Amino acid sequence: MASVTLQHVEKDYGSLRILHGVDLEIADGEFVVLVGPSGCGKSTLLRMIAGLEEVSGGEIRIGERLVNDVAPKDRDIAMVFQSYALYPHMDVSSNMGFSLLLKKAEKTTIDTRVGAAAKRLGLDSFLGRLPRQLSGGQRQRVAMGRAIVRDPKVFLFDEPLSNLDAKLRVHMRAEIKALHHQLKTTSVYVTHDQIEAMTMADRIVVMHDGFVQQVGHPLELYDRPSNIFVAGFIGSPGMNFLPATVSKGGKADAVLADGQKLRLPDGLPLQDGDAITVGLRPEHIQPAENGALKAEVEVVEPLGLSTQFYVRIAGQQVCVFVMGRSTIRPGDAVRLSAEPAALHLFDPMSGNRIG
Amino acid sequence: MTYAVSEIRSAGRRRKRRLSHAAIEPWLYLSPAIVLLVVVLLVPLIVGISYSFRKFSAFKSEYVGLGQYQAMLSDQVLGQALVNTLWWTVASLFFQFFLGLGLALLLDKPFIGRKLVQAVVFLPWAVPSFLSGLTWAWLFNPIIGPLPHWLYALGLKAEPTNILSDPATAMWGPIVANIWFGIPFFAITLLAALKSIPSELHEAAAIDGASPWQRFTKVTLPFLAPTIVITVMLRTIWIATFADLIFVMTEGGPAGSTSTVPVYIYVSAFKSLDKGYASAVAVLLLVLLIAYAVALIAIRRTLVRHV
Repeated sequence: MASVTLQHVEKDYGSLRILHGVDLEIADGEFVVLVGPSGCGKSTLLRMIAGLEEVSGGEIRIGERLVNDVAPKDRDIAMVFQSYALYPHMDVSSNMGFSLLLKKAEKTTIDTRVGAAAKRLGLDSFLGRLPRQLSGGQRQRVAMGRAIVRDPKVFLFDEPLSNLDAKLRVHMRAEIKALHHQLKTTSVYVTHDQIEAMTMADRIVVMHDGFVQQVGHPLELYDRPSNIFVAGFIGSPGMNFLPATVSKGGKADAVLADGQKLRLPDGLPLQDGDAITVGLRPEHIQPAENGALKAEVEVVEPLGLSTQFYVRIAGQQVCVFVMGRSTIRPGDAVRLSAEPAALHLFDPMSGNRIG
Repeated sequence: MTYAVSEIRSAGRRRKRRLSHAAIEPWLYLSPAIVLLVVVLLVPLIVGISYSFRKFSAFKSEYVGLGQYQAMLSDQVLGQALVNTLWWTVASLFFQFFLGLGLALLLDKPFIGRKLVQAVVFLPWAVPSFLSGLTWAWLFNPIIGPLPHWLYALGLKAEPTNILSDPATAMWGPIVANIWFGIPFFAITLLAALKSIPSELHEAAAIDGASPWQRFTKVTLPFLAPTIVITVMLRTIWIATFADLIFVMTEGGPAGSTSTVPVYIYVSAFKSLDKGYASAVAVLLLVLLIAYAVALIAIRRTLVRHV
C-alpha cells in the first residue's frame, strides 16, 4: 500500500489545457473519489495516475517514487474500467490470473490467489465461464477480481458502476465499500454521480473545468461548500440559489428581487448594498405559520418517506424538502422560514463562499 | 396455434387439409427466393455435374457414366495441375495474408500521410485483373520491363531473362502479381477488425504487465482470429479458382508449369473442346474446396470460442 501525491499536475492536448495544476495528497489506505461533470478532467487525471496518459507538467508520486515516466505495468496499480475491459476470449479464471501469468508466477500461486479472490467476490462457480456468459454485475465483479488478484499498491476505478442498472449499482456500491474496508488498499475512484461520491468516499475531490474546486470529507463539502459550483453539485435535490442585496438596518437582511427579506447570520464581512447569492438547501427551508417568506406552491412530489415541493419565491423556482406527508396542494400560498445559520452566502461575481 | 390444435382434435378429414395448408404456407412466402436460387444456382450446378457423366464430340454427346472420372485417375497433366494449384494457392495466400496483416497493423497507427498511404494501398483492388496481369507480364519481360535487370543486378539471376519463360520459375510470375493484387483485401478486412478492438483492452493488458508483443499475441490476435479464419477461407477459394492472371501472363505454360486446375478446366473445355472432361475436373475442384471449407469451419469452432 502507498500514498499518492499529485504536485501541480497539468495536462495539455495540443494547445488545449485539460488540467490546470492539480495538487492532491492521498493518504495510505484512503478512499478518494474524484467527482465532477463530464469533461471536467477527472478521468484524465485517473488515467495519468495509471500511466495511460502522459503528464504534461507537474509530478505524480506513488509512495515516495516519482512515476511520471514509469510504464503502467511497473507502477503497481490495478484499474477497473467502465467497460470492464475483460478479455473476451479468456474464461474468468484466466482473466483474473492474466497479470500473474505474465509475471511468470507459479501455477499453484495463481490458482490460490484467483481462488481466494473469486471466493471473496462470490465468483467460485463461474471460473470456467467466458465473459459473454456472465451478467453485467458478474462481469463487474470479475473486473474487480482481476484488480484484487494483483494485490496492488493502489486501486483505480474509472466509473465502474455506470454500466449497471440502478438497483445493482446501489448493491455494488456497498460491496466495493465493504471490500475497501477489508483490504484497506489506497483507492482512487472516478464518478460523475455525487451520490456515489457521498456514500463511498473518505474524501471527495470536486472537479470542474480542469480545476479542483474543493477537497474534503463528504459532509464537510455538504455543510460548507467553498463555492457555488460545489454547493450546486453536491446534494440531491440540489441547493436553491436566490440573488439578493444586503440591507444593514440594525440586523443584516438579504433583500430578494421582490423585496422580501431573509435574516442573515451575524458577523459576516458584508456591506450595505452588496450583491450576494443566497444558497438554501431544500431541507433548510420549511413551511411555518409565521414564516418570513411568502411563496406559491407549483408542484408537489409525494415520495412516501418525504415530500418535495417546488414553490416560486421572487421569481425563482425553489425546492422545499419536508419529511413525511403533507396536505399542501399545488396553487396553495404558503409561508416559509429559514434559519439564518443554515444560509450559504456566495459572491455572485466570483462564486466563492462568503464567511 | 390454439385454433389449429382444436381443429386437429375435432375432425379427421378437415385436419389433413388444414395441416397441409399450414405446411405449404411458409413455402409460398419463400417461393420467390427459392425459385431464384434454383434457377441461378442449382440448375447450372446440376447441369454442370451432369455434363461430367457425358462425352462430347463435335455434334453429339453420349452418356459414359463414370468414364470421365476414370480418365482423371490416369491423367498426369491433371496431377501436375493439382500440385501447381496447391503451390499457387499456398504461396499467394501466405504472402497476401502476412503482408496484408503487416499493412493493416501499420495503418492502424497514426502517422503523417496515413490517408494517402491508405488510398495507395487499396489501389490494386481497383485495377482489373486482366490489366494487372498484362502489366506484370510486361514488367517481367526483359525487353520492356525492369524487373529481370534488377534481379540480375541483385545477383538473384545469372542472366536478365524472363522468369515466365523458364518452367522452373514461371509460377512465381503470376504468384507475385497475385500477391500484389490480393494484399488490399487482407489489409482492408484486417484493418476493420483491428479498429473494432476496444482500446481499454490494450490498456488493461498494459496495466496487467503485457509487453507489446504479448499484447499482440494475447489480445490482438485472438480478436482477429474469427476474421482471419473467414477471410483465409474465402481467399483460398478465390485464389484456387482464380485463373485470369495465370491465363493472361502464361496461358498455363511453359510446358504446363503454370497450369492450375482452373486453367486446365478452361483449356479442356474451350481449347480441347472436351466439355465432359472439363466438367468432371470442375466437380473434383468443387469437392476439394468444399472439404477444405468444412475443415476450416470445424477448426474455427474449436479455436474461436468467444464469438
